[in-house]
Amino acid sequence: MDKYMLLVREDLQMKSKMSKEDFFKDIDEMSRWVQGLAQSGNYVDGEPLGPSGAFLDRNAVLSDGPFIESKEGVSGFITILAENQAQANSIAQTCPMVANGKVSLEIRPLVIWNDPLKNGRSATGA
Amino acid sequence: MIPSKTDAAQQELDRLYKLHFGKLVSSLLNFSSSIDPDTAEDLVQDVFSSAVENWKLTMPDNPAGWLYRVSRNKAINWIKAQKKYGDLQDDDLLLHHDPAPSDSVLEDFNLRMLFACAHPDLSPKVQVIITLKYVVNLKVESISKIFGMTADGVDKLLVRARQKIKDEKILLAEPAKSEISSRLPIVHKIIYLVFNEGYKTSWGRELIREELCEEALLLNKIILDKKIGDNDTAALNALMLFNASRFKSRFGASGELLDLESQDRSTWNYDLIALGHHWLGESKSGVISNYHYEASIALLHCSAKSFKETNWKLISDLYAQLLKLNANPFVELNYAIALWYAGEKERALSILHELEKHSFMSRYYLLNASLGKFYKEAGNRELALHYFELTLGQTSFEAEKEYIRCQVRACLNP
Repeated sequence: MDKYMLLVREDLQMKSKMSKEDFFKDIDEMSRWVQGLAQSGNYVDGEPLGPSGAFLDRNAVLSDGPFIESKEGVSGFITILAENQAQANSIAQTCPMVANGKVSLEIRPLVIWNDPLKNGRSATGA
Repeated sequence: MIPSKTDAAQQELDRLYKLHFGKLVSSLLNFSSSIDPDTAEDLVQDVFSSAVENWKLTMPDNPAGWLYRVSRNKAINWIKAQKKYGDLQDDDLLLHHDPAPSDSVLEDFNLRMLFACAHPDLSPKVQVIITLKYVVNLKVESISKIFGMTADGVDKLLVRARQKIKDEKILLAEPAKSEISSRLPIVHKIIYLVFNEGYKTSWGRELIREELCEEALLLNKIILDKKIGDNDTAALNALMLFNASRFKSRFGASGELLDLESQDRSTWNYDLIALGHHWLGESKSGVISNYHYEASIALLHCSAKSFKETNWKLISDLYAQLLKLNANPFVELNYAIALWYAGEKERALSILHELEKHSFMSRYYLLNASLGKFYKEAGNRELALHYFELTLGQTSFEAEKEYIRCQVRACLNP
C-alpha cells in the first residue's frame, strides 16, 4: 500500500466564526470516520490546522497571510494508506465532511524517494 | 396474537430472500450467457416484488420452486424482448437450463461475488457495503442502519460501486489463480470488518449484529473449505472464533455493558475457543500478519483464568509488534492499556497523555474512559471524574453512557 495525503480545504472565514460546539461536533464526526479508517488499516495520521498563522511570500515579506480572506483555505491534513490512487479517492469519497458539503479534499500521493543504496544496489556492488 | 396471512407470507419471503437471492441470480447467469449480473439481479428483484403481490392471496405449495420458476420465465421474457426471438418456444430455452458442472475455482456464485466486491479501487468501507448488499443480501435499509447512513446515501454509493464491478471478469469468466490470491488480502479485510461491525458493543443487543458475525464466519469458512485461503485465512478464523466465544458475555442480565474484568468467564463458549485454538495452530508458518497478532492476543484473554491472571506482559509485547506492522493511535491506545495491567503504569499513562494531544484521539471516548479508569484505580478521584465527565459527551450510545455513569457512581461512593 502507498501513502496519500488528503489536504482538507474549507471556508476559513466561516470556520473562524464557528461556535465551539459546532467546531467539536465536526471534529467528532471526523473522529468517527478516522476510527473506521484505523480499523481497516488505512489511517496513518492527521491533524486539523488553526485558522491563524503567517504567510511568507517569494520576496520573503512576512504578512498575516491570506488565509482568512480566502474562501477555500487549507484547514487540515490526513495521511492514509491506500492500494492505489483510485482507492485513495474512494476513501476520500466516504468522508462525512465532504458528504455534508463542508470541506473539499485534494488527494495526493506522497513521493517516497527510494534510496538506491538501500535498494540492493549498494555503491560497492556487494 | 395469531400472525395474519400477510405477515406469514412476508416472513417467509424475507427468509427465502436471504437464502436464495444469490442462488437465483447465479442460476440466471448460468441459464443464459446473454444475461449480465446487473440484469440478473434486477430480474430476481422483480420476482420478489411479484411474490409480495401474489403470495398475499395464496401461498404457493413450494415457495422456493415458485421463485425459480418465475425467475426463469422472467429471464425468457427479457431475452425475447432483447433479441426479439418472436417465435422461440419457451421449451427451447428450458432444455439447456441445467448448467454444465463447472470446475471453476470459484464455482460458488457468492464466492465469486465476494472476490468481485474486493475490488482494489474501492475503499474498504465501500467494499464492505457492497458485500453486505450483494453477497450477504442485506436490504439497503439494514445497511444504512448499520453504518448510520441514509438509505439514499447507501444507494448513491452502490451506484458508484456497481459501475466498478460491472466489468469484472471475476464474476463471469474463470478468474486466474493469481487474481484470486492477489485479492485474498482484501477479502480477508472485508470479512474482518463485517465481523467487527457485528461485534461492536455500541449497537446494543440487536439481533442483526449476531447475524453479521455469523455471516463473516460463514464467508471465511467457504474460503477454507474450498482451499483457496492461506495462513491469514486460518488466523482470521481463529480471531473471529475467540471473539465470538465472548459475544453474549459482554452484556449483563439487564442489558448493561460488562467490561472484560466483570464478565462471567463461565459463560464463554469454550467449544468456540477450542476451535479457534485449532485454527491458530493451522495458521502457523510463513508471514505473520495482524490477524496472527490479534488472534494471539484474543487467545491470551480467552485462556486466562481471571482478569488478574491474564498474561498482560505478553499481550503488551504483541501489541508492540502490531504497532510495528500498523502504527496508528488506536493500536497505541490498546498497547498502553495492556502496559497498565502489566504493571508498567507510568509508561502507560505517559503514552495516554501523549495521545491526548492528538485532536481526533482527544475526542475518542475509549481514551478518556481508560484515563478515567486508571486514575480511579490510582485513587485520584478528581482526575478520574474529570475524564469520565469528558467521556459522557463523547458517545451517543446509551449502554456506553450507562457504563460510564456506573464508574462515576463507584468513584463517588467507594
